Amino acid sequence: MLTLLSMFYYICLRRRSRSGTRGEALNSRRAVESGQRAVLPVSVEVEQYAKEVLDFSSHYGSENSMSYTMWNLAGVPNVYPSSGDFTQTAVFRTYGKWWEQCASAPLPFRRTPEGFNSQDYIELGFEEPVYPTAVEVFETYYPGAIVQILACSHNPFSQNPATDVRWEVLWSGEPTKVLTPHARQFSPKIKHINFPTNLLRLEVNSSLLDYYTELDAVILRGVKERTMLALYKIPHIDISDLSDSEEELCDAGGPFTHQRTGNGYFDKLPYELIQLILSHLTLPDLCRLAQTCKLLHQHCCDPLQYTQLSLQPYWARLNDASLGHLQSRCTLLQRLNLSWTGNRGAFTLTGFSSFLKACGQSLVCLELSCCHFLNEARLEVISQACPGLQELNLSSCDRLHPQAFTHISKLTHLRRLVLYRTKIEQTAILSILTFCVELRHLNLGSCVRIDDYDVVASMLAARCRSLCSLDLWRCRNLTDRGLNELVSGCRMLEELDLGWCPTLQSSTGCFQQLARSLPRLRKLFLTANRTVCDSDIEELAAWCPSLQHLDILGTRLVGAASLKKLLQACPKLLLLDISFCSQIDMRVVQELSSLFPNVFIKKSFTQ
Amino acid sequence: MLSVLSYGRLVARAVLGGLSQTDGRDYSLITASYGFGKDFRKGILKKGMCYGDDACFIARHRTADVLGVADGVGGWRDYGVDPSQFSATLMRTCERLVKEGRFTPSHPVGILTSGYYELLQNKVPLLGSSTACIVVLDRRSHQLHTCNLGDSGFLVVRGGEVVHRSDEQQHYFNTPFQLSIAPPGTEGVVLSDSPEAADNSSFDVQLGDIILTATDGLFDNMPDYMILQELKKLKTSNYDSVLQTAQSIAKQAHDLAYDPNYMSPFAQFACDNGLNVRGGKPDDITVLLSIVAEYTD
Repeated sequence: MLTLLSMFYYICLRRRSRSGTRGEALNSRRAVESGQRAVLPVSVEVEQYAKEVLDFSSHYGSENSMSYTMWNLAGVPNVYPSSGDFTQTAVFRTYGKWWEQCASAPLPFRRTPEGFNSQDYIELGFEEPVYPTAVEVFETYYPGAIVQILACSHNPFSQNPATDVRWEVLWSGEPTKVLTPHARQFSPKIKHINFPTNLLRLEVNSSLLDYYTELDAVILRGVKERTMLALYKIPHIDISDLSDSEEELCDAGGPFTHQRTGNGYFDKLPYELIQLILSHLTLPDLCRLAQTCKLLHQHCCDPLQYTQLSLQPYWARLNDASLGHLQSRCTLLQRLNLSWTGNRGAFTLTGFSSFLKACGQSLVCLELSCCHFLNEARLEVISQACPGLQELNLSSCDRLHPQAFTHISKLTHLRRLVLYRTKIEQTAILSILTFCVELRHLNLGSCVRIDDYDVVASMLAARCRSLCSLDLWRCRNLTDRGLNELVSGCRMLEELDLGWCPTLQSSTGCFQQLARSLPRLRKLFLTANRTVCDSDIEELAAWCPSLQHLDILGTRLVGAASLKKLLQACPKLLLLDISFCSQIDMRVVQELSSLFPNVFIKKSFTQ
Repeated sequence: MLSVLSYGRLVARAVLGGLSQTDGRDYSLITASYGFGKDFRKGILKKGMCYGDDACFIARHRTADVLGVADGVGGWRDYGVDPSQFSATLMRTCERLVKEGRFTPSHPVGILTSGYYELLQNKVPLLGSSTACIVVLDRRSHQLHTCNLGDSGFLVVRGGEVVHRSDEQQHYFNTPFQLSIAPPGTEGVVLSDSPEAADNSSFDVQLGDIILTATDGLFDNMPDYMILQELKKLKTSNYDSVLQTAQSIAKQAHDLAYDPNYMSPFAQFACDNGLNVRGGKPDDITVLLSIVAEYTD
């Protein structure tokens, strides 16, 4: 009996153990290499699709959606080799030069190096760190936007905190415009680097493109171990490698034993002229020049050279030390661009705070897009150290706690505020609108935590009467009630983005009311509002002669006749997006384009 | 001596009983699909499986196997809208949601809700409506979670008998509950049910259970006993025999649909409600036949 029992038990146990090994589902990595347990160090190429999208600066789609959002870039391609405007791709928020032409666009910063033209970025994590041999990007619509590919030494999936994070440029190029909008596989020749990586960053610039670029997937090819040959490769010396460390910004003292007459004729020039000459140098050059001689050191450290400071092009190399060294020169700082900087531990708690406390007195413009090092404490520092701040950009700071935004209401002189894709909540925005009455430009695009946009619109109409541009992209519950109040209160509005606001119904007459109330209107986006109809277009034609940009994507109710009226009545019209408007076919588009050649008429397609 | 034996038996039973409850095998569904479009139209150029205005999908994920059927409401054709576009896009979207893991196995109505939301995020202005039925097998817990909106549905057959079935949801005759996207201004006139209105159910399944998910084209033409007769022929759980059975069921339903003298369940229901009709109901037929088996990679 007992032996029978034990036999039974043994058999059952064996059955359990056999089915106990659950096959770990292979994620999208396809390992070509064989024999991982082999002793031979044969470096076979490993091909991987992206495992996870870790960070990005913007996207077209809605948060929590999988349509036109950046998360689609992970995994295998969904669309390639087809071309077209598909939901399963990764799409950035903007394209072309249209947004730069708007009044809400920030002024460009001086001293932007010519090689830096990135507008957006996306960071991808892969499963296995490899020494990259190739990177392939599947672009499925209007390709040509990729301008830089970088690799990081830090493994984003490891539990260890980031130390000694290095970014290397694998490839860099100019923004291009490919003649046809069709799909292509982009595989530039990349540099070989001396550390394994599983974190890639793509930077894009779509200013030359005719429509939104769309990306489907990214492949990282590499070897796990470098072969001996790699050691003999002549290292590619890039001029940017020389300015590798911002430690050069440290003024080491240098050989200042020469007398002043040893400076050549430079000291004969008037002070202001030398200042003017130096104002054309990029920041690293300025810092290097400071180490040459005492005279130029004096000039290069003159705070007047640092009234505008853009550190965004150097995001990969910036850390606390850099800020510390610049601190003494930035006492007259008025415009500061720290977008994209400080992530992965580059800025500590004290570094940023002490810099702002030293330099924030005259600060007027502060760009902090995608700065994930920000927290409530640092926003508090900003609100205290920069009392005269007029422009604040917190675009895509999506890890910022909702509580942090309450400090912004202390900045009562704010004129431009960008909160795209942040977690700001109802009470904070209402508090900001109560105190910041000088607001001219407000961006609340994709702010999903705001509960009631009608109340926000009502507050804007009451308090911010000089509002010039308002971005309410994807604000999910704005109704005609709020819109009517908004347009009756904010009569100076020139730009209004109401794209993907599903709760606005044309039948309430709100769009016609809008047209009548805003004579200065230059930009109107009614993207994917399926209720826009002919009478709305005709009303715009009648009341808004300054109209320059109009987007009415996806409505079935607008026909060619009303569009013709609009084009005739609005001579300044430059952009008209009528994609997926079922009454407008290619024949109509061609006819309108030939009649009105100054207007870019966009009609996207899915085949 | 006897007490030792009986004691031993007790221990044996307890141990074995304990072992079977902790049966750690993962289950999976071996699924085959087949169907016919009404008027012999098949969905051309559409990814996924489409039969006329019906659409379906079969998706695998690490944690679950998911099936879905959607019956596009044909009435839209009279208003110039292709009814197959809505159902096909809905099913493709649900398939993608499953493949990307954006779902909870125990909450299939979430797949419908998310899928419907994603349809609204499409730049293309979709119009139309369809029923929907989603069936999820949770591999680890051996539970089948279902949600059904409208008159498509499923049967679970064990040992030759129906042990679970879905209920039809109708507003009135031939007007099932449906997810829809209507032209602007017609919100009061066009039926649009929320995904939350779907019926949900969850129950345990065993190895060898047969699950038949289908649109009303099948259930309106073939009564249960005929379906069970066909299912008796399914002996093994390999894909080919499942496909063969699915095909025979669909074909039989298709033949019956065009038989003018046959008293179909649809005709029976009509008669019960005072309409004197006979014959089958020509309609799109979609059949997804699954059998519960052990999971193999």
